[in-house]
Amino acid sequence: MMIQLNTKMENFMNGQTDETPIQIQVNHVNIYYGSNHAVKDVNMPIHRNSITALIGPSGCGKSTFIRSINRMNDLIPSARCEGEINYRDYNILNKKIDVVQLRKEIGMVFQQPNPFPKSISENIQLPLKFAGVHNKRLLNETTEDSLKQVALWDEVKDRLDHSATGLSGGQQQRLCIARALALKPSVLLLDEPTSALDPVSTSKIEEQLLELKKKYTIVIVTHNMQQAARIADYTAFFYQGELVEFGHTKDLFTHPVKKATADYISGRFG
Amino acid sequence: MNSKITNRVALSLIVLCAVIMAGTLAALLGYILYQGLGSISWHFLTSESNPFLAGGGIKDQLWNSFYVLLITMLITIPIGVSGGIYLAEYAKPGKLTSFIRSCVEVLASLPSIVVGMFGMLIFVNYFGFHYSVLSGALALTVFNLPVIVRVTEDGFSALSLHQKEGGLALGLTHWHTIKTILLPAAFPSILTGVILSAGRVFGESAALLFTAGLSTPNLDFTNWNPAAPNSPLNIFRSAETLSVHIWAVNTSGIIPDIQTVANGSAAVLVICVLLFNLLARGLGKAINRKLSGKS
Repeated sequence: MMIQLNTKMENFMNGQTDETPIQIQVNHVNIYYGSNHAVKDVNMPIHRNSITALIGPSGCGKSTFIRSINRMNDLIPSARCEGEINYRDYNILNKKIDVVQLRKEIGMVFQQPNPFPKSISENIQLPLKFAGVHNKRLLNETTEDSLKQVALWDEVKDRLDHSATGLSGGQQQRLCIARALALKPSVLLLDEPTSALDPVSTSKIEEQLLELKKKYTIVIVTHNMQQAARIADYTAFFYQGELVEFGHTKDLFTHPVKKATADYISGRFG
Repeated sequence: MNSKITNRVALSLIVLCAVIMAGTLAALLGYILYQGLGSISWHFLTSESNPFLAGGGIKDQLWNSFYVLLITMLITIPIGVSGGIYLAEYAKPGKLTSFIRSCVEVLASLPSIVVGMFGMLIFVNYFGFHYSVLSGALALTVFNLPVIVRVTEDGFSALSLHQKEGGLALGLTHWHTIKTILLPAAFPSILTGVILSAGRVFGESAALLFTAGLSTPNLDFTNWNPAAPNSPLNIFRSAETLSVHIWAVNTSGIIPDIQTVANGSAAVLVICVLLFNLLARGLGKAINRKLSGKS
């Protein structure tokens, strides 16, 4: 399918061009599944209080890469990560890092909305309770705050004790984002958060992300180039496991340096 | 032959098979209940069995069946569910794991009479538990354990990876994810497996012949001290269960009303299993609703 991307300037209204400090520095990251070299020598910064989009065709390693930032690849026995992802003076890929603590600071939302088969409030409070919050008032306040941050509060405030699996797909995904935010992370990783959702839910979530980047550092994997163009400050283009190009979204979409990038964003492949 | 006709033939065959199955079940149930309901009375349920004279009841046997089932489940569920969780969540794929898995399968397919003989040699003779509730329950554990391990493992594997990822990505430990998210989500399927296996345990006779014994001391239902030899709660007394009673009465009984007692006992057994299923199902739904919030 050919996607004609409108590269007029006003489409990049949301992208900023002034630099924010670097929150995460990725140096020479290589990821293997068994003998398959899935991510090849990736180097890039992730800036604080900004949205960084990872784009590229299916199987280009962008999901594998984002999953290594909070060590979700540990779940896959054959996966092996090398290199450095530096965050707060620590190398995230260090085997000795406390992954439980790491994942509290670097939250993640997945492609498929995955609310727990529990009540809406329990979905938010369960990880909080595990993190040591037991004060009832604080739990309720945090629940309300995080639901408000994703604009879900008004829709569910009268049925917080209802099962979360009864919500619509878009509501479920916003609940999953709220659930991650309740832990007050500093970084939020989103792995194609809107690809299973309808356009209305998608635009709601995009609006929320633009709001959320004021407080959080956001990394988002997306198949949808318009989405990257609409919300991201920085964009990284992955192709066949390599980071082909990284830059301000506006620059990357209007003046791509590499030919592969230009071909991809003009819809010539992928 | 065109595809429409093929479709119709396939559908008719499937319906036919379903009708045969449901019909057999209904006929069997109908026959047992028709034959047995007549001999069930309050007196039959609440009086002791009589080895020589007509008019004996099944009070002790009925109690024993439930009690042996309870003890078996108390032993099996914790071990079986833990084992299933280990296989589903912790065991690394490899030779040892597949060996454990085939052991579980072999254990599940052992003939129950063999389990009974094993129980007699090990629990009754070697450990010296004699013919007792405990020996019976341990023998039943041998063939119930693999079933529980299996249903637990299947219940966990059927859950999508998304739930586990969701838990871990929120900074929960693996164990906490299992305890608070995966186990409750797998609970309905584990419960169904437990109910089915409970029905099997409740109706088991061969494994109990040489382990729980063919007799029951005169139980005193006012004495609830588990150490007393005639207490219903004593696990070291012999305990003839309902299905063993049916077998014993039919094969070597000398009472004049063999037919009445056997039919009545069979009907009670079937009704108990049915009630048990319905009750547990209702309970499962209620617990599931409590865990997952209102729908």
